[in-house]
Amino acid sequence: MKLSYAQLLETNNLIQQNTDETYWLCLTRTVQESKLFPVSPYMILSYFMCFYRYPALLRKIEQHMSAEDIGDRARNMGIKIQNPSMGWCLPSFYLLGREYLITMGLIRPQDALEDVVYVMDFWKRYELAWHRNDGHLTNRDFGHRAQVLPERRLQIFHADMYDCVEGDALHTAAQAFMAATSQYGFLVSCESRIALHNQGPYKLDDEREMIVRDFMDLAEGDYPWLDGVAAEMPYNNLTVPMAVKGVHFNIIDDWGSFESQPEFKAEHIVGVGLYTSDTLSEGYLPVGMGSREELTRTFEALAEKAKDATNKLWKRIAGWSRDQMIDAGAITYFSIVKDLAHVAGCYEMEDWMLIDERAERFRPLLNDEYSNMSLWEILGPLSNPCQRTNEYQLCQHANIPARMYSLIPYSVLKDGDYTATVGDLQPGVSYLPRKEDRYRTTQGVLSLAEYNRQAREFTPTVCDDDHRWLCESWLKYHHDTPAAEALYRAEQQHSRLLKDKGAGLRRADIERLRGD
Amino acid sequence: MPRLYGDTDKFGEQNNTPVVEAFHGAIRAMVRQKLAASGQTWQDFVFGKAVTGITADDFRAIDQRLLDYGHRYLWSALVSQQERPEAYTAAQGVGEDLSTFSFEHPEAPTAAADAEGRELRGCGDNVVRYNEDLIGTARYVRSSATVLNYLQNGVPPGTIAVIDDSGGTLTAPILEQFTGVICAGGTVRSHLGILTREYGIPCFMNSKISGIREGDTVRLECTATAKTADAYQKGIEMTGRIWRVAQ
Repeated sequence: MKLSYAQLLETNNLIQQNTDETYWLCLTRTVQESKLFPVSPYMILSYFMCFYRYPALLRKIEQHMSAEDIGDRARNMGIKIQNPSMGWCLPSFYLLGREYLITMGLIRPQDALEDVVYVMDFWKRYELAWHRNDGHLTNRDFGHRAQVLPERRLQIFHADMYDCVEGDALHTAAQAFMAATSQYGFLVSCESRIALHNQGPYKLDDEREMIVRDFMDLAEGDYPWLDGVAAEMPYNNLTVPMAVKGVHFNIIDDWGSFESQPEFKAEHIVGVGLYTSDTLSEGYLPVGMGSREELTRTFEALAEKAKDATNKLWKRIAGWSRDQMIDAGAITYFSIVKDLAHVAGCYEMEDWMLIDERAERFRPLLNDEYSNMSLWEILGPLSNPCQRTNEYQLCQHANIPARMYSLIPYSVLKDGDYTATVGDLQPGVSYLPRKEDRYRTTQGVLSLAEYNRQAREFTPTVCDDDHRWLCESWLKYHHDTPAAEALYRAEQQHSRLLKDKGAGLRRADIERLRGD
Repeated sequence: MPRLYGDTDKFGEQNNTPVVEAFHGAIRAMVRQKLAASGQTWQDFVFGKAVTGITADDFRAIDQRLLDYGHRYLWSALVSQQERPEAYTAAQGVGEDLSTFSFEHPEAPTAAADAEGRELRGCGDNVVRYNEDLIGTARYVRSSATVLNYLQNGVPPGTIAVIDDSGGTLTAPILEQFTGVICAGGTVRSHLGILTREYGIPCFMNSKISGIREGDTVRLECTATAKTADAYQKGIEMTGRIWRVAQ
């Protein structure tokens, strides 16, 4: 593969964007520590796994479906290829693995060059597709905002949500559900926040905004440690559109976290809905949305299931060895983009749920102190030798002469002194029990073979060839056409208030319908 | 001995921390040695014998060398210390008897009791601003054994958990039962900050405290302004106070 100057320029720009944003994201959180999980050790192990495996796995996925096609699918459901998975983790986990190996002297910035160019290009194409409706590459690119959804979906979330106020039964149940499920999500994800995602904000009127919150990978699915303990969780992914009053969400970042002015409290919530979705669903399917009372009961029941699963899982984890904890954490981080393979219908347990043996050899280094300190050095003061730049430089946010991720030297275009790739997939190992062949989906509990088969054969209506190019720019000028009507009706088929209402409604019409 | 690419780094300096510098220096020396022994060019070596010929045993030897020098690692996950006590510093304040234990942060602001009997013992970053300060009983939660005990017997009412863990998993099954939280690490955007906000539990992150013992009555200034991302980015101090109050 002959690399061009333009390719390297773009790749270095994408690397630099991740450098800048990673520093900002980490600055406001500090290095994550836990008394339960060896977090830094598993994070570093996962970075090595990502460096060695992502190139081959992404190429395998693209043999079935392109990055941009998967981005189109993901935009219409709440599964784990949003943020932080795709906006930050895919490129940064990979680049962190690369940077560790550079600073250890095990590779040079120009090694695995075709892999680096490919991974960053995959990321770019996916992100541009996922952000198609807001026209950005990342939330950072949009000033920390993510307006991913099309009008037709926002209208349904807006129309069908039930109003609530602090202290009423629905408000209490919704808040209890979100707290319990957030807690459960952190535990499922071994102390990481990757089971949670927020997008938006979307403006409902001059006083109200809506954010869309996703809780992902909750049921028996890909993670071996959820076998049994999550058997009662009836949905793998749940989405809560949430309206708030008196609060502006000024930051929705590429970790899927939000910040608001004034600070968000439960009392600000004035409306909620509940949906599920996955690779096999026609977009978002309502859950318990038939009436306010049904939704209240559904939130309450799901909160209890989340608490029960939390207690069972916590007891299981408390009995784990350090190696098992590290495996689970490293696999959680590494496999954060695994749903790319589910959408493409080529998911294999051995690809995503094992520790690559090239990464596994580093385990003896990963004591708590080295892991905490080296992670702090690579993310905070940027003090690895390879991260330092000439003294005239001021890096973004930190104002120090440093760069988190090494750029590719352009000299390779002249002297050709680089290596192309880390090579093919290698075997993996794990201290954890083997995953049982049981996957909770919107189409029931399936074997993996059946899950992959259905994924390969299924195309959601809004993503088929008749509809996928009918974008928001087209809709603006063609809302009165049969094609627009068909597109909106397809999305509205499960809506309580908007079924068959078509493409002509504006936001004020939705508000009037809610009041009828 | 061959030189590595990084050996001619114009701007690179040593790592900040001794353990990282020791490990990375030893790894680079080992890579030079393996490259020389292979007789290969770098291009052939890097994803060939640098992968198959550098094994877990090589990294284990680097770890052992530092221990042989007398270094003992600082632990953060209790399981690390428990499984390999010979490699880590001793664990303090995680047993059953916490009567004499207290966090002692040098940066903690302290002052004698005021007219209302409030003795300043520290401060922290307020996650959410509430209308009233919070008064409760300080109880340290630092180990799975403590969590399991509370899970089986219930968390005593009015407990303000004192935690050094900014994560949300150690206390996952019992967090909802806390009246308040004083966390010695993290920021308001850390996992514990997110969860306490969801549960509506007053919480101070990044707390610096001194002299607060198990069972002390403490007061959190939850009416203080919540710390913002902007304040972290600009290094602006924005804290609420933590008092010990007469019972």
